[in-house]
Amino acid sequence: MDPQLTSIIVPTEELRHIEECLVRLVEDTGSDYALLLDKSGQVISSQGDGDRQDITALGALIAGVFASSREVAKLLRERDFRASFQQGVRENIFIALIEEQWILCIIFNKGTHIGLVKVLTKKATDELASVLERVRQQHKARDEVLGSSFRTSMEDTIDLLFRD
Amino acid sequence: MALINVAAREIHCKIVYYGPGMCGKTTNLRYIHSQVPKEVKGDLLSIATETERTLFFDFLPLDLGKVRGFQTRFHLYTVPGQVLYERTRVAVLNGADGVVFVADSNKSKMQENVNSLKELAQNITRQNKRFAEFPIVMQYNKRDLPKEVLAPVQTMDHFLGVTRMHWPRVEAVATVGTGVFETLRAISRAVISKL
Ligand SMILES: Nc1nc2c(ncn2[C@@H]2O[C@H](COP(=O)(O)OP(=O)(O)OP(=O)(O)O)[C@@H](O)[C@H]2O)c(=O)[nH]1
Ligand SMILES: [Mg+2]
Repeated sequence: MDPQLTSIIVPTEELRHIEECLVRLVEDTGSDYALLLDKSGQVISSQGDGDRQDITALGALIAGVFASSREVAKLLRERDFRASFQQGVRENIFIALIEEQWILCIIFNKGTHIGLVKVLTKKATDELASVLERVRQQHKARDEVLGSSFRTSMEDTIDLLFRD
Repeated sequence: MALINVAAREIHCKIVYYGPGMCGKTTNLRYIHSQVPKEVKGDLLSIATETERTLFFDFLPLDLGKVRGFQTRFHLYTVPGQVLYERTRVAVLNGADGVVFVADSNKSKMQENVNSLKELAQNITRQNKRFAEFPIVMQYNKRDLPKEVLAPVQTMDHFLGVTRMHWPRVEAVATVGTGVFETLRAISRAVISKL
């Protein structure tokens, strides 16, 4: 099968690494929020204060904005576009790319210096890159994770919910 | 590339509605949003121009509930169809697991359909995916158009290479919902068969 079409499977222990990494980043920078997204916009993990209701939409928008910025960079023939920074009145957003697959996003306010965020984000992205590397390496059979009857159950659910 | 989060027991899939300007992509999502049960759908997010043309994307998250212990989520997107927004389409298509290609059944739109499909093939290939193996469902929309301007299905099959590519094909009238869920079922099945 086309390796690009196979799913990315994040196992329990790796998700723990990711969470620890995000928590540390939030604490060390004094940020409000850190998010790890897949490039498709799906939220892998989010850490920080408050339970955000809008996290799904936020993930989709940030991934979209980042992907468009990259297209802009390409048009400008900028080869190495790996991070972006958006400054607001209250909140700032720093976004960094991990190996073309994941997007790390930090939301912070005036109390935090952007320089610190940049430095610590670099450390975090290196760490997350090795998590991603391990996730990609492990060739766990899909059926082992999902169970062989998953697909049939899934089809039943689709037929039930997506009815005319 | 679907994302399976084993710890959180979650599966995410991204489905993108692609096609030329005004073919009815946003109409598909609006209809789905209006019909699925409350507990399944999230808010429909549309980033559009003042004239209701899609500027960036529409986004509709669907939560299918637990399937064999896994919380399953489908995220539906539309691209902006106007030629001008080619690069924006590349951005929205990033990481898609499957595509619904919405073709306009108006005879005068055949060239636009073909161009858009060619562009899609290019963009999928640029993501290092094999276009021939990529999950795609064809929707021939606006089958309610008057006979004089309605392209016959066979003509569309021929121009779009549907028979050769073995894509499932659905005839639709998105404004009233005909074929909309059949399309969604077909692409969902195609995507999970690749999980
Ligand atoms: N007759 C007819 N009109 C349709 C149908 N589906 C959509 N339309 C109309 O086509 C127009 C464009 O529909 P949209 O859904 O906004 O098209 P779109 O593909 O999202 O367009 P962009 O955002 O510019 O790419 C609207 O006026 C719709 O009402 C259909 O099945 N039949
Ligand atoms: Mg639209």
